[in-house]
Amino acid sequence: MNELPHPDSTITPPPGPIRLTAIFWAFARIGAFTLGGGLAMATVMRHELVLKQRWLTDEEFLAEMAGATVVPGPIAVNLAFLQGRRFRGWMGALAAVVGTVLPSFLTILAVALFAVPFFDRPKVATFFQGCAVAVAGQLAFASYAFGRKLLRDWRSFVVCAAGLVAILVLHLHPVWTIVVTGVLGLLLFRPGEPAAGAGELE
Amino acid sequence: MAPSLWQLVQSFLLIGLGAYGGGMVTIPLIQHEIVDKGHWLTFSEFSRLIAIAQMTPGPIAVNAATFVGFTQGGLAGAVVATGAVVLPGLALLVGLALFVDRLGEDGRGRAARWGVQLGVVSLILYATWNFGASVVVDRWSLALAVLSFGVLVGKEGKVHPIVVILTGGIAWSLLF
Repeated sequence: MNELPHPDSTITPPPGPIRLTAIFWAFARIGAFTLGGGLAMATVMRHELVLKQRWLTDEEFLAEMAGATVVPGPIAVNLAFLQGRRFRGWMGALAAVVGTVLPSFLTILAVALFAVPFFDRPKVATFFQGCAVAVAGQLAFASYAFGRKLLRDWRSFVVCAAGLVAILVLHLHPVWTIVVTGVLGLLLFRPGEPAAGAGELE
Repeated sequence: MAPSLWQLVQSFLLIGLGAYGGGMVTIPLIQHEIVDKGHWLTFSEFSRLIAIAQMTPGPIAVNAATFVGFTQGGLAGAVVATGAVVLPGLALLVGLALFVDRLGEDGRGRAARWGVQLGVVSLILYATWNFGASVVVDRWSLALAVLSFGVLVGKEGKVHPIVVILTGGIAWSLLF
């Protein structure tokens, strides 16, 4: 595995437009290498797009994550749409969505045709149980990686805590969680914050 | 009785529209449409479907749509069911994208966006807690989860997350 610089180093966007085939393959890798879907794939997507390809920053990634969460449907597919569109417009969005869905689609067809009894074996179930435990660690890592960037002072902790109360204690819909923290951000942060350069990329 | 393609589209449009906040939320909804309403699968067939959808890569809703579509309507069924489950979200995003393009990069927008991003961090923390509580059941699973976290933090950008996950699976099948 080749060495990648730490994510805090300056991001240099690749020269010229990103090729549609490059978008398709990047998202196909994400689709093929994601277990659990939804928020669990944030780590894989960040690895591929932010750290490896350097097509966008952590901040941009999180902004689109918010968009993908507030509309219904699989978060991974929604996120692929938004990012594909950022990279190469509507065609990029199409390439990213097809890339994300195709690996699952082909896997399921293969399973439905040949491998349904395979999943009834106890050893197979144990294997996937271990994978699921590791996914819990992966989710914790996603919290850490993004929290490190965004939790900068007491106000940001307050906003994040309010979001946790909204979903964990009040059982509000994820959409309302985002609305609550967005409004709190508007009230607590000064206009123009976070200032560019204050621990931000670029 | 096998459903028509149009019935598959209707059911999976509804599932796509109601699927909010990740896979776990979607399962009861799929059950309602496929087992309780459509009677296309029995409950035990449905349980197996969910197990397969969780074990294979990709979003659970997409996997379930492809599987049910294929078993009920062949390749055409798989294509229309998968398309139907992602369509509502994408249609709303097209509308949202056209709207967000009009929002400028002004100061208040930045402040609100910071708040929204922190909200996403809250959601990921919640998912960590929720999912973690369902799979971390003893000290072995706690150790594996902490170890996976430690490797991802220590080797950030150097180790692909899928390597960590597969290693977890292999370790588990060797241990138990």
